[in-house]
Amino acid sequence: MKTDYDVIVVGAGNGGLIAAASSAKMGHSTLLIERHNLPGGAATSFTRGRFEFEPSLHELAKYGSADNPGNIRKIFDWLGIDIDFKEVPDAYRVINTGKDGFDVSMPTGVPEFIKAMAQAVPGSGESIGKFFKIAVETAQAFSEMTTNPEQIDMKKIAKKYPSFMKYGTVPYQKVLDELQIPKKAQEILMAYWCYIGIPGDEFEFGYMAEMVVSYVALSAYIPVNRSHEISTALINSLQKNGGKVWFNTEINKLIVEDGAVVGVRTADKDIYAKQVIMNVIPDIVYSKMLDSKDIPVQEIKKSNARKIGTSGLLVYLGLNKSAEELGIKDYSTFIDDNWDSHYQFDHMKNIKDNGFFIMNCLNVANPGCSPVGTSILYATQLFFGDSWDNISPSEYPKLKDKIAEELITRYENATGINIRDNIEEIEIATPETFARYLRGPEGEIYGYFGQPWDQMIARTMSFVKEDEPIKNLHFCGGHGYLLDGYSSAYQSGLSAAKLANKKLSKETV
Amino acid sequence: MDNFEKQIAPFNKLLDERKEKINSGSTKPLAKTFPVNQLAERLHPEKQFLQIYKIIEHGNESKSFYFKPNKNLGTEHLAYFRAGQYLSLRMHINNSYVTRPYAICSSPSDAMNDIYVLTIKLVKNGFATPYIWNNWEVGTNVEASAPAGNLYYQPLRDSKYIIAIAGGSGITPFYSMAKSILEGTEDTNLTIIYGSRTHDNILLGDELEDITKKTNKVKLVNVLSDENITGYEHGFISAEIIKKYQPADDYSIFICGPDVMYKFANKEIATLNLPAGKIRHELSGNFGTPYNELDYPEYARDKTFNLTVQVRDDKRIIKAKSNESLLIALERAGIEAPSMCRSGECGFCRSQLISGKAFTPDSIDGRRIADKEFGYIHTCAAYPLSDLTINVPIHDLAN
Repeated sequence: MKTDYDVIVVGAGNGGLIAAASSAKMGHSTLLIERHNLPGGAATSFTRGRFEFEPSLHELAKYGSADNPGNIRKIFDWLGIDIDFKEVPDAYRVINTGKDGFDVSMPTGVPEFIKAMAQAVPGSGESIGKFFKIAVETAQAFSEMTTNPEQIDMKKIAKKYPSFMKYGTVPYQKVLDELQIPKKAQEILMAYWCYIGIPGDEFEFGYMAEMVVSYVALSAYIPVNRSHEISTALINSLQKNGGKVWFNTEINKLIVEDGAVVGVRTADKDIYAKQVIMNVIPDIVYSKMLDSKDIPVQEIKKSNARKIGTSGLLVYLGLNKSAEELGIKDYSTFIDDNWDSHYQFDHMKNIKDNGFFIMNCLNVANPGCSPVGTSILYATQLFFGDSWDNISPSEYPKLKDKIAEELITRYENATGINIRDNIEEIEIATPETFARYLRGPEGEIYGYFGQPWDQMIARTMSFVKEDEPIKNLHFCGGHGYLLDGYSSAYQSGLSAAKLANKKLSKETV
Repeated sequence: MDNFEKQIAPFNKLLDERKEKINSGSTKPLAKTFPVNQLAERLHPEKQFLQIYKIIEHGNESKSFYFKPNKNLGTEHLAYFRAGQYLSLRMHINNSYVTRPYAICSSPSDAMNDIYVLTIKLVKNGFATPYIWNNWEVGTNVEASAPAGNLYYQPLRDSKYIIAIAGGSGITPFYSMAKSILEGTEDTNLTIIYGSRTHDNILLGDELEDITKKTNKVKLVNVLSDENITGYEHGFISAEIIKKYQPADDYSIFICGPDVMYKFANKEIATLNLPAGKIRHELSGNFGTPYNELDYPEYARDKTFNLTVQVRDDKRIIKAKSNESLLIALERAGIEAPSMCRSGECGFCRSQLISGKAFTPDSIDGRRIADKEFGYIHTCAAYPLSDLTINVPIHDLAN
């Protein structure tokens, strides 16, 4: 059988970049093919005037410090990624602008976080202490389980982490109730749900707790020169290890012979490889890139059983005053008038009254990110893509301006900080924008929605079994076993590369 | 049941549920597209196939080309846009594949009726416009990008009052804005200060006059450099003229015009001390020469270098002149290279510099920070300073 490459990776999103760079690092001849003219997918940047904006990253998890590196830093080190990151100084600020509202800023560091919570919510100290005890154990278990999903030893995990076994699969909200955490403290502890888009009463404790611990204990990090720097560095790593990248190239079809994927078809040629890793959501691969006779029925059933995850809306602002001049002290501020996560989740389904949003000020974590005397802010909202179904092309520009204005107004009212008089640059991304650039169904940015049976635990434990739906075909990305998020997609890329590597090694034996 | 079995039970239950949910999933074929994805295709199609259905001449030097979608080639409707945006046309001239950005002269409402108008001025010693003059007629098919560019009125960013500074065919984006104000799609006030050499060089003058009669939100000031006529300003567009016609204390300036006007106007505007962001331009590919840049290294002046071009697995060595962008060198050699704004900004021509040195003038350096760090260039804004090797992505959209 003729092969041009050991491994072809389709899609240079976060998963695909790591899959390709890792395959090359493992010594395999690797070709990475990307439809767009830039690497990264959502991990990119764009410039307007004097500003270079971060399109999507809020907080890179599992990076960690040099002394206490997280998984992602270890992967980057292994791939020779030599770029600077900044530690995000605080965890987050939550503003509840509704009845019985509050405004609380939470620091990083578990003891500091517990202390701040006890101040914000008197009497919460003991229950929050218990929460972290369980959450830290859970996070350790999770890390063990998900770092090497191809070899999970549940017996070992059960022995080491009984709390994880007890609480891991239980909804987060339910555990908070069980621990008798006061309502206000629960609301404060709920902020991160939006990073995965599963409401607290459906979100398995294992994953959500792990996320809280990872951000609070390990801190979050951001690259100094926007996510495009990570993506470009990963291309550099791929090339240094002999791999190639083709931009502006669309894959029309996966070539299947005798029930195995043997290559990919572009507009002008067929390219053959021993292993193919798709950083493309399976729905697209199955609906557009394969003949129906080549798709296992089980895969169609699986895709139909799943739900497409959420999309988003972002407003990027380049302001002609510094964060200090404006009085902005927080990197991430979560704002809504109702802090029931299920209520917030339900409102992602319509355009009119979707209240929940996050405002980030990049300069707080990364002071040199824009010229002296300026600052970068961006507001993020989640929307299910189908909430934009009935928007016509001519309504579209005005609608996005209107939503942007509402968000600016609500931020100003919640914080007392004037934004509108200082806007030098503005750009607005919507589900349409994500559909355009990332090409996911319904403009999804979070892959598949995490129904209880389709969250991290179930996906991770099924990872090996569900790999290679067709021989030699692997998947990675934000739709992968760790769900969405940069660190999740990176980790899934490494896992896909390992699976492909295993197959390639077997072949040579 | 031993302890582990008890512990693992909820996990197994979850896996059973997963199995059951997947097994009971429907076998119906998966949807190929969704409304939001269709909206994206309508607003930002990969390419648009246009067909000329009418041509109007404006004197000897300019023509308006009226386009409708070419349904036979798959373009059902024209993409909507914001007044002020441009189309990048793709043309195959002799053995060169080139693009040219032209601001859309018609209005967004016209686009909803599947009409675009491009008003183009002949540049006699140019490359693309003589070709257009010789070849375009009613029925000609032209391939275009989706509308692009950032020179449009953004109510959250721009002042309610805009002073448009135009020179020559740089009037076209402002004509579109004026028309859309009249039609009620844009809610702003526009004062157009339009520089021409002589009265007869004024492009779309009557049409603009007509709009100013119908709405007091659009005003027109003609500035003639080579003629002194009553009722017209004489000279170049100066700070003094801008101040004379400024519609309010708080205003934004939008500029579009040839390189020479642009440089002059920029100096004048600098004296007005407007906050950054209140001045916005569209260069439309009219940068001029790199030799006038203060930091241009003299040693490279008037040289021709060897440019090694890698496209996927192919390699070619071509010539590159120091006063021409690498993109032009690629086009001269017949290499199909991606490009769009031709002004350094959009990044569509982003390519990797493998070895050698290139000069990117500061004023058109729209590169991302990491791209500078890792040696990427925008070929439309990069000028060779030595022999060099670049890795250029294919321009698959032209396939």
